Amino acid sequence: MESLKALFVDDETEYLQTAIKRMKKRGMNIIGVSSGPEALAILAEQKMDVVVMDMRMPGMDGIQALREVKQLYPLVEVIMLTGHASMEAAIQGMELGAFDYLMKPIDIDELIYKIQDAFQKRQLQIKKIESMEKMRR
Amino acid sequence: MIKRLRAFFSKFQSNGQQPTAAEAEALRIAFKDRYHHFKQLLNANNRALEVMGEIEKALRGTTPFGMQFVRSSCTRVSTDVFQIVQHIAALAPGKYGALQTSFKAIQTQINPFVYPPAAEPQGPLVMPLGSVDRASADLTGPKMANLAELARQLNLKIPHGFVVTSTGFECFMKSGDLQAEINRRTQATEIERPDHLYALSTAIQQLIIQSPLPDELSRALADAQEQMEAVAGKHVPLAVRSSAIGEDLSGASFAGQYRSILNVGREALADAFKEVVASKYGPPAMTYRLHRGIRDEEVPMCVGCLQMVDAKAGGVLYTRNPVDIRNEALIIHATWGLPKTVVDGSAATDQFIVRRSSPPVLAEQHIPHKPQRYVCYPEEGVCRLTTTGDQADSPCLTDSQVLALAEMGMRIENYYGQPQDVEWALDADDQLILLQCRPLQQTVSRAAEMPPADPRWPLCLQGGQTASSGVAAGKVFIVTKEADALQFPKGAILVTVQALPRWAMLLNRAAALITEQGSLAGHLANVAREFQIPAIFGVPEATTRLASRQAVTVDANGCKIYSGRIDELLAFRDTPRNLMAGSRVWQMLDGAAKMIIPLHLLNPDGPDFRPERCRTLHDITRFCHEKAVHEMFRFGKAHHFPERSSKQLRAQVPMQWWILNLDDGFNTEVEGQYVELENIVSIPMRALWAGISAQPWEGPPPVDSKGFMSVMFQATTNKALLPTVRTTMTNRNYFMISKNYCSLQSRLGFHFSIVEALVGERTGENYINFTFKGGGADFSRRLKRVQFIQELLEPYGFRITIKEDHLNARIEQYIMSTMIQYLKILGFLTIHTRQLDMIMANPNVLAHYRQKILADIDTMLAADTPPAAAPSAATGNV
Repeated sequence: MESLKALFVDDETEYLQTAIKRMKKRGMNIIGVSSGPEALAILAEQKMDVVVMDMRMPGMDGIQALREVKQLYPLVEVIMLTGHASMEAAIQGMELGAFDYLMKPIDIDELIYKIQDAFQKRQLQIKKIESMEKMRR
Repeated sequence: MIKRLRAFFSKFQSNGQQPTAAEAEALRIAFKDRYHHFKQLLNANNRALEVMGEIEKALRGTTPFGMQFVRSSCTRVSTDVFQIVQHIAALAPGKYGALQTSFKAIQTQINPFVYPPAAEPQGPLVMPLGSVDRASADLTGPKMANLAELARQLNLKIPHGFVVTSTGFECFMKSGDLQAEINRRTQATEIERPDHLYALSTAIQQLIIQSPLPDELSRALADAQEQMEAVAGKHVPLAVRSSAIGEDLSGASFAGQYRSILNVGREALADAFKEVVASKYGPPAMTYRLHRGIRDEEVPMCVGCLQMVDAKAGGVLYTRNPVDIRNEALIIHATWGLPKTVVDGSAATDQFIVRRSSPPVLAEQHIPHKPQRYVCYPEEGVCRLTTTGDQADSPCLTDSQVLALAEMGMRIENYYGQPQDVEWALDADDQLILLQCRPLQQTVSRAAEMPPADPRWPLCLQGGQTASSGVAAGKVFIVTKEADALQFPKGAILVTVQALPRWAMLLNRAAALITEQGSLAGHLANVAREFQIPAIFGVPEATTRLASRQAVTVDANGCKIYSGRIDELLAFRDTPRNLMAGSRVWQMLDGAAKMIIPLHLLNPDGPDFRPERCRTLHDITRFCHEKAVHEMFRFGKAHHFPERSSKQLRAQVPMQWWILNLDDGFNTEVEGQYVELENIVSIPMRALWAGISAQPWEGPPPVDSKGFMSVMFQATTNKALLPTVRTTMTNRNYFMISKNYCSLQSRLGFHFSIVEALVGERTGENYINFTFKGGGADFSRRLKRVQFIQELLEPYGFRITIKEDHLNARIEQYIMSTMIQYLKILGFLTIHTRQLDMIMANPNVLAHYRQKILADIDTMLAADTPPAAAPSAATGNV
């Protein structure tokens, strides 16, 4: 878990702080920001493995932020989280490359497991690329 | 990159060349990647099946659920199935492309049930009552439409006023995205828990009250009020009342769910409007909708703004007896001043019984002491006054006023063709004013069928009147304040002083209701009848003479309360009314479930087992699961990659057992074709194996000639049963394993079974799925065998479904040690139910085998710790 770095994006600051606090307590290396542009700024500055992204945010919404993250950092895994269950948004997000679409309220352990699974996927993708590079050499 | 990998792998597929070290590493990574997809596919499959189980449970209608459940469960299952489709595409690129088309087609069919198209209200924001009629009900709500209609058609006197229409309501809710915010907060709340419901209700009501009215609505309200005052030539205080759309939904009373604000002046109108709208989210109204399966969106809140009536007296008239369908008398409840105490049940009121004849006759009257009355003064507003002199004990209506009221009631009943519940007032000029009317729900009393009261039954209290008929037993719970409501246990007898409408939210949990005050004309009585909760109102000293937790039997028909259980009476207890099944919310879920739950793809070897034939999400999960297993087996073989090919287990059990290590199922790299048991570290496989090898199989049961002939005959018609015919997995038993995962596909004898399990520290993800199909004997024997297995497994808590001769057993979310025990049981059954189909026609032999198998399982389990009793609890949500 130590090498896993996660970013939580949610405009509901109270919810964000509670979730971050509880996940940190369980040993997660996670930070929070409250908008899509802030998330993109963090990703430009530091390596992140997994992003947990609220879907409905003022300004840049979750889908737009997801689109930009996957375009700029295709190996970063994004988990969508929402208080507004929408089949259409879920499928759209998955088509754009989101790892999963989860609904609030969510069991904290379930969210952590999901982040770990997303991290595992990212590591495999990186290894796959490295191994192809080796073969090319 | 995928293309490059495929080209790379195809090299090994075509020429059988051994990979170099770097290539082997690439293969290992590719295999790991496939395993990751496979594992994620299984997780998604598991979750999808769980959600399907929840939907099926909800559709039984025994527990309430709202549209939030419909939306979130359909979204959850769709997301999971979409992921399954993505993962199978990763395991077999391009091979099952038609699944996407099937998935999209299914989604399109589910959509209208989850997001029913909302009818955009077309009309003005505000309408004067004079321009409203019955046809305007979709704009003004049925309450205001009925009022205006009766004024017009029967020439009855009603207050002047106007209505904020459903267009006005939508205009308010759209401003500031209120509805979306309400839906979001509701989704995040466990609404079934009273404390959570209270918190949610408070938050939503505050949100509404703090939201400003949009300018156009604000102007429309002010204009309408100004016009009223211009016509009246004076300041006109208003009564602001709900007139929600859908209050006329079949059998739904909505009684007392919403707030009315009296004596509202010009400055306070906007706030009063918002308060009435907010009351749509009060705990009683939210509980009511939840338990009646009524969608929030179905009941837009129109608001009537009516001129206050200077009421000398007021009350409620029932044109029939609500608790006795055979009784034709009219019942009038009345009090001095405003009719507040009649509808909120907070005090005793006059009761007049009028015989239906031409002309009607006043048959009975009960005039209690009425120490207080409510009046509305233009300056002070609604005031509670003490009645003076003889007034407290005098009837508040004269005989002729009673009869005039009864005649008005009969005319309204005649006009609508059904019994009516009419709210009225008598103004300062002694004119009858109609305030509201709606259909009256009547119940059938079973009093006549019941035995006469036995003097030996321990009577502890009697009196009052039947507000809702029926019999019930339970423990007394006295409610005096809101906080008590949070503690109210399911199945208790609710005992309280006043029959206040706010206690309606407890009726879904109460077995019966007893109050010291209140009448059968009050809102609480209405809801009690609707939910078929026996209720007695007006029982003197009920809260002091009954003790909390005292066990009692309530006979609401006889107005008697007995100590303990009186089984002779309880034999006449009605089955609680299921208000959820068939409701609008239920219909939405049912419609969506038709595209989610039914399973059509049963036979993987059949011609219909194709992506194009997937008609439901369940079909897709079934198809993909089967193909995913197949694709995982293919990999090692197809790429001449022995390290990831299956190995044969060296074992004392006399069958062939092949094992494919998916990831970390071995404790070492295993060279060659064979693997030893001690090299296997898969937790679920070792548990299953413990069951398989616990006792040697004694061979097929001694079979009679009929059973043998049945098998021989089936073999002549079903070639798959012939041992010489090779099918995909013929006569071998395949394990796919990792440390926490195991799938066993076995074809033992003529039957086919799959055990799949995920067992690890993530308790919430643990599951076992057992599928059993086939057999050599005829269909009825095969069916008996799956029933036999069902009988063996059900007592252990497995959830069983049987379709034709196909059995599925499932158990999930137990801690690891418990799951291990369950796997041992399944391992044991996998071996020891072989060929039992041949003896299925002989009940005695069957009983012998059942007993023997259960005893053997007990012996096997006794060697270890017993299974735990319950699934783990959630660890806390965010």
